[in-house]
Parts: sequence; structure tokens; C-alpha cells
Amino acid sequence: MDVLTLAMWIGTAIFLIFSFTKDKKKTKQALKMAFGMGKGMLGSILSIIFLIGLILTVFPPENIAEFVGNQSVLLATVIAAAFGAITLIPAFIAFPLVGTLVHAGVGIVPSVAFLTTLTMVGIVTFPLERREFGLKFTAVRNGLSFIFAIIIALVMGVIV
Amino acid sequence: MKVIRKAKENLFIIFIAAAYIAIFIINQNMGIASVKNSFYYIKEMIMIMPVIFVLTALLDLWVPKEKIMKYLGKEAKAKGVVLSFILGSISAGPIYAAFPLCVMLHKKGASVRNLVIILSAWAVIKVPMLLNEMKFLGFKFMAIRWVLTVIAIMIFSWITAKIVKDNDLPQLKANQNGPSINKSACMGCSLCTKNYPELFEMQNGKASLRITDGIIDQEKLMQAVNSCPVKAIFFSVDEK
Repeated sequence: MDVLTLAMWIGTAIFLIFSFTKDKKKTKQALKMAFGMGKGMLGSILSIIFLIGLILTVFPPENIAEFVGNQSVLLATVIAAAFGAITLIPAFIAFPLVGTLVHAGVGIVPSVAFLTTLTMVGIVTFPLERREFGLKFTAVRNGLSFIFAIIIALVMGVIV
Repeated sequence: MKVIRKAKENLFIIFIAAAYIAIFIINQNMGIASVKNSFYYIKEMIMIMPVIFVLTALLDLWVPKEKIMKYLGKEAKAKGVVLSFILGSISAGPIYAAFPLCVMLHKKGASVRNLVIILSAWAVIKVPMLLNEMKFLGFKFMAIRWVLTVIAIMIFSWITAKIVKDNDLPQLKANQNGPSINKSACMGCSLCTKNYPELFEMQNGKASLRITDGIIDQEKLMQAVNSCPVKAIFFSVDEK
């Protein structure tokens, strides 16, 4: 376990102990909620992981990096953003995945676009959002999020 | 019938399993490599997932959400923007869990701009997730992306508010009598079933109402309503 992960565990443990001394009942409830959320997501998370494992075997990260590198940056970024908008990968799987891809040589710009649309734009959750907020709000919010994800990615390419 | 329903619910898992069987038949080495690849991510997940879930639940518990929401309705200016960012960043659950909460806030007077900020911050800016991002992509990457994302949200929430007006959002439908559950918002934390097991039960990972003889323990029901982290339980008598 690396230092940062260890620090997170320790920090969370301290927070948890503090929380327990303050309010035992509420802390227990929070823990139950954390456990419930985890259990509810476990099945879909595991299947996504196994799918990623399969895809990375058929298309090794180095090949993906080469393929992406051969495209123009803008095209690669738009495609990566579209991928992020369609797929539903939990963020804590997405970070190690993008870490793998970046280390294999995939550019920063498409990676950032993918990470940002992954959480902010939801094609799968679009009908749900539309029912609650109406078509106009949903279309404008998702559309602008998509465009700005690409802008964020391009700006990051200049800075980093 | 039950088998078919179960198969439909787990279509994705069945598809993955079939793909693995296929790849093991075609090329055993590739199958083994796939499993090995997957185990790397499973290892990472086991190390990080408990911390993220516990940390998220604790933040959700200790940051005074009710207070923030109370001010959000009236404050449309800078303070409202900051509060919206905070509310989105500390809350637990996936983005669709934010939908009913935002609808409720809108009803209480929160502006369209603040709704967009809450939803976007909810999606991208999570404290435990930022730590996770730092681990795999470095501090510099995380910090720059964070700053750029906050700026972007400020700009496009302002644009959204220019295009979308308050009355473009659907009006709330009439409530039916008794308690009801917004199933699309429920993320299956099962707290309600623990608070009031006689009324709530879990079905396919979502909370649902049991058929009862009509006698409802108000106190226990309110406890369940308040404990729901995504405010997915409604009770018509409570409407003011």
C-alpha cells in the first residue's frame, strides 16, 4: 500500500473515531449507509472491472496509445469525451484505468476529456434527468458540460 | 418467469461471463491475461473503496446540509454559488441521486444556476475522489483539473441560467396519499428498511413499500424519511 492510500485509511479512521465519540448512533447509521451503498454497487462494479480486463487484453494500452497518437488531438479528444458520456464507470475505477492508459503513452488531453464527461455527462441517465427537470434543462446542461469538458481538456494540454 | 426476470436484471453479468468463456476457448493465454488485468483493478478497488464510501458517508453526516439548503433558496448571489458548490461536493451517491434533491431545492426557491452547480459539483468534485485522482495521476494533474473544472462550472451554469428559465422546469405532480418512494433516486443503501422494517423492504437492490394493514407509525416513518440520504421517500401529509 502506498503512502497516500495509507494516509487516507488513517485519516478516515481518525475521522471515524472522532465521529463515534460525538454521536454513536448517527455514526452507526452512516456506516450502515456506506456498507449498503457498497453492497448495492458491487455486482455492477465487478462486471465493469472484468470487462475492462478483457478489453485491455484484446487492445493492450500500448496499442490504444499508438492508435490515439495517430489521430489529430481534437478528434481523439472528442471521441474520448463521447466515450465518457456513454459509459457508466465509477470514478474510483476510472482513475486507475486512466492512470494505466496515461502511463502507456495516451495523451493527457483525451484522458482529461474522458474523465470529465464520464461523471458530468450522462447519456444513460438522460431520461431520468429529463423526467425531473424537463428536456430543455437536461439538453442544455449535458450539452454545455460536454463542450466545456473538451475545453478543460484542451486548456490542460497547454498547461501540463 | 422468475428465471427470465432474473436473467434480464443480470444481463450485463451474463454477457461478461459468456465473453470470458468464449475467450478461454479461443485463446487460453488471453483469457488468463484478462483475469490478471482484472485482478489489478480489483486489488485497487478493495484498497480504496471502503475508505471512499466511509469518508463520503461521514462527510454527508457531519456537514450541516439542512442549514446549507435553508440558505440556498434565498441567496442567489455569490453566497449561493459557494453554498451550491459545497453541497454538491460533500453529498453521497451518484449523480442521479442528486436529481430529486435538486427538484426539492428548486421548489424552495433555488435558482437554475445553483441547480446546475450542485449537479456538476456532485458529479466531479468529491473530496475522497480528488484524493483518489491524486494517487493515480499526481497532485499537479488533480489540482489543475480541479481549478479548471470549477471555473468551467461557474461559466456554463451562468449560460444555462440565461437559456433555461424557471418555468421551463416541469411543475410538481400532485402527491398521492401515504408514503411513496422515488425508485429512480434510491441507491439501495437500505437505511429505511433498518429504521422501519415493517413498512420498507429491499427488492432488486431498491427500497420498496410493503403492503401493510394501513396503520403507519408516524415517528418511525419520519425517521426513515429523514435518514434517506437522497431524500427519495415522500410523505404527502408532511407537505407544507
